[in-house]
Amino acid sequence: MSALGRIARAPVDALSLANILLTTDDAVIGATPREIVWTHRRTTLYRYRSDRRMHPVPLLLVFALINRPEIFDLRPGGSLVEFLLDQGFDVFLLDWGYPDEEDAEIGLDDYVCDELPWAIRETLRSSEADELTLVGWCIGATLCAMYCGLDDPGEQTAVRNLVLLTMPIDGRRSTYARWVGSPDFDARRIAEQFRVLPGGLVDIANKLLKPVTNYWSTYRRLALSVSDGTAQPDVYQPMAKWIADNPNFPGRAWADWIELMYRDGSLASGQTRLRGRSVDLRRIEQNVLVVTAAADHIAPRQGTTPIFDLVSSSDVTHFDRAGGHIGLVAGSAARRELWPDIAAWLDERSRQ
Amino acid sequence: MRALYEQAESATAQVMEGMVSRPSFGSLLGMATENVAALTRISADLADLWWRNLRIAGRADITRLARQLNRTEDKLERLLQEVEALRDEVARERSGSGAT
Repeated sequence: MSALGRIARAPVDALSLANILLTTDDAVIGATPREIVWTHRRTTLYRYRSDRRMHPVPLLLVFALINRPEIFDLRPGGSLVEFLLDQGFDVFLLDWGYPDEEDAEIGLDDYVCDELPWAIRETLRSSEADELTLVGWCIGATLCAMYCGLDDPGEQTAVRNLVLLTMPIDGRRSTYARWVGSPDFDARRIAEQFRVLPGGLVDIANKLLKPVTNYWSTYRRLALSVSDGTAQPDVYQPMAKWIADNPNFPGRAWADWIELMYRDGSLASGQTRLRGRSVDLRRIEQNVLVVTAAADHIAPRQGTTPIFDLVSSSDVTHFDRAGGHIGLVAGSAARRELWPDIAAWLDERSRQ
Repeated sequence: MRALYEQAESATAQVMEGMVSRPSFGSLLGMATENVAALTRISADLADLWWRNLRIAGRADITRLARQLNRTEDKLERLLQEVEALRDEVARERSGSGAT
């Protein structure tokens, strides 16, 4: 198109761009039909029923405490849940909800020692299975690994497989550690003041890791794609809507996380204690699949890889792929590049 | 022209990422967060005081009630789990005695 043509089209392009940005909230995410199995406080366990169930071992998906678990079921045609259902898996999803001031006292111990085991219990009861696969993503993966590393060996035998997607276990070398790792940064005091860390604030911190990309390049590229006629609102809008949905982070859990991940590195050294119980990742004996992303700036690969020196499992697989923290599993390429490999790994390990 | 612009943008992004990854930026961010937290707390406390003086329940009262509800729900959940465990045990015993 000539320069004159571009200038003539500019008002139309501006309108199209504004339309995409302004109607982002109308995008439908998490559309796969599901039913509520169990609730406790803010936590909800959902079940997605597969009409072609082939595997007796159900999957329990666990997402982080920041952002929403709908990323597992982003949009029709681009949903990991939908894909797993098509592959014959019985899928459950754990949703931590939207914490508010009354949840300020919830700590990591509550998630690892209560909510997660209770959700596992309800998953097994509901699916009438003896074992399940835990699929954790980001902080959700860390919580799953911590649960499997708890000092009661009898309790975790129901977990047959453990899938850990872009999981941080030692963040002391990350940019976050440079921000919050200093003793001057009093996470406990900030948590007490806020009671719950506003989701918007956590989002700003995450976006500041790549300020130009997040606050400028994304929108410039969108404008460019509108002008080129290659914009895909049905792809852009669900992801933009999901990114903008930021639940609060319970104050105590946030301060626990800062200490655990960016200060003492106790998870990697097996020194973590929750309610007096030790958490040692060397106790993990399940079949383990670890997925890392080469361009992950939220949970850099070097913060995940110590897991390989820790777990006692005889069956450990590592997929290291190109992509970012979220894009690796939820990006448009994931459906053909990563999901089939995860499904194949699960298929072999989900038989009777 | 576009390639030149993208090159400049990429260089700026790298410079900015380098800048935010410095401990000094972390200190500034930490101080800013502490200030925002303190201001949020002060304004919330003032707002609560205002409502309380008007004899109307404020956020703190609602939070206190919600915490009590949370504690009740915790007890209920544990009770439910005990009942379900007992029911499963009875079912197992019955099926065991039926088998013999």
